[in-house]
Amino acid sequence: MSPVKETMSCYERLEVAWNLKEADRVPVAPVNCYIFPYLGGINMREMFLEPEKLVRATIKARELLGGGDNVDPNITTLNHLSMLGRAGWDQATLDWRIWDDFPPKGNLPSLYEKPIIEDYDDVMRRGFAPILYNLKLENNIHTRSADDFLFYEFDYPKVYAAAWRGFWEDQQVPLLMGGRACHPLDMLQYYRGISNLTRDIFERPEKVIEMCEWLMEYESTLAMRDAMVMGAGEVPGTEVIFFINGGPPGMSPRIFDRFFWPIAKKMIDTFVKRGFKVHCHWDNDLTPNLNTMKDMAKGLPKGKILLDLEKTDMKKAKEMLGDSICLFGNVPSTILCYGTPNEVDKYCKKLIDDCAPGGGYVLSTECETPWDSKPENVRAIVEAAEKYGQYRR
Amino acid sequence: MAEIAEAMASLDKDALLSAVRKGLAANADPMSLVEEAREGLERVGSEFEKGKYFLMELMWASQMFKDAMVIIAPKIKERYGVTASKGRVVMGTVKGDIHDLGKSIVRDLLECSGYEVSDLGVDVPPAAFVDRIRQVKPQVLGMSALLTAAVSQASLTIEEIRKAGLRDDLKIIMGGGVVGEIKASDFGLDYATVNAREGIRLIEKWIAEAR
Repeated sequence: MSPVKETMSCYERLEVAWNLKEADRVPVAPVNCYIFPYLGGINMREMFLEPEKLVRATIKARELLGGGDNVDPNITTLNHLSMLGRAGWDQATLDWRIWDDFPPKGNLPSLYEKPIIEDYDDVMRRGFAPILYNLKLENNIHTRSADDFLFYEFDYPKVYAAAWRGFWEDQQVPLLMGGRACHPLDMLQYYRGISNLTRDIFERPEKVIEMCEWLMEYESTLAMRDAMVMGAGEVPGTEVIFFINGGPPGMSPRIFDRFFWPIAKKMIDTFVKRGFKVHCHWDNDLTPNLNTMKDMAKGLPKGKILLDLEKTDMKKAKEMLGDSICLFGNVPSTILCYGTPNEVDKYCKKLIDDCAPGGGYVLSTECETPWDSKPENVRAIVEAAEKYGQYRR
Repeated sequence: MAEIAEAMASLDKDALLSAVRKGLAANADPMSLVEEAREGLERVGSEFEKGKYFLMELMWASQMFKDAMVIIAPKIKERYGVTASKGRVVMGTVKGDIHDLGKSIVRDLLECSGYEVSDLGVDVPPAAFVDRIRQVKPQVLGMSALLTAAVSQASLTIEEIRKAGLRDDLKIIMGGGVVGEIKASDFGLDYATVNAREGIRLIEKWIAEAR
């Protein structure tokens, strides 16, 4: 097959998809996070603390992975779960054993569920401090110097943003996001623990809702602040808020409709009204909740929302939401690690057949590309978009 | 006593605890109260399989069951002493993965059903699995993984179990979000599933067959 001339830039192609129209071809954007530093030859410490090295590693790894229409700037290294600069990783999540290694001898930075919220009212009364300075966390915050703490809170985001602005200027590839926000239920999953949260949802639902409303303010504000620092309005892609729901898993429609959806819709509306776009990165299988999600774009201008689904049935999502929301996803992680390029190719073709007609679809991974994916399998995603995703020949 | 099963099936904790207290006050056999609660839990599981209840309801049901057991267990001990378990299961999330939730749900539901579960926690190295299997002699080993890298880690763990001569009498199942697309036998597993209830049913079948 002779290569087809591409007539749009990466950003234009994505913009057309967000606006539910057909571009020159289906945009393709595997969510490559840890695989960039891994293939780019830097370790975890460099990934987290030296943005110029991360950018160089990203450029190198992109060549091995076949490119793609945008790049994840790994915002998780900047802000996490409303913790102050670097403090989130310091305290709640990071397993320090792996910092000088990649591949890790221990774990990737992962979320350790720690039930540190015991009293919702205390947190709402005293602000975020009961979470941030909770002594149950294995924190390094109290042993860090004031200079170090202040640098990562106030100056490091600017250093980080400058590195990624340089990436855009050099590569002309837009970024996946400028800031990231978690759904409050997701945050409670980590700060309260899923077991306690489940009990709370059934035993004191009103308090959970009140706490979610309260946490929503923190997350929304921090995400928008980060996006502004990253260059929203100037650096393409940084006007996007990456709105995450990594859990809790297994919400029934009853729980989804009462606890998850109203807050999610409020956050989406807030971001859009303040001039941002929203990339909803929602894990788990949300197929039973698609009917509720039909109202996602209600009352908002076109082209502002994208829905990135992990285990949800994409064909059904296209049928139910395709006329109002751009869809994104969802090649399974296990195929990327343990499958073959041929299997990836077949999977992508089906996704394109199901979701691409009429536009409004971006071919991507489910959740993120595992760091140990076979590079040829990630390349096969990009190649499939070129092979099967041509809208105009 | 159908009240207990009914309260459990409708996820009404207050009604469940009240029915349990009423039963104990009427001097009912505490074991029959447990069986009633299990029957209710079965109904919750069956609704889960039909897609009417979801994972959170399943978790809440096991929490309710445990709450009821706090009241019933002392009476069982009083009347019967220590009761035998239906079977032994060792569980753990494999090395390199710290996800706890899926494993904990299966553990809780197995315990509610009367099995003895030895939970090794998360990020468990192969040697710890081997030691615990040697010590507990379980009929089933349940491994959990949510990260793709953990699947190959499970394979290494099974190899260590084999080298220790402990594989032959042991069934091994793996659960977790990433195992849906893998072929279990490629990794030395007897089965892999993303569905907690399916896993539990199979574990119960294996243990019944081993008796």
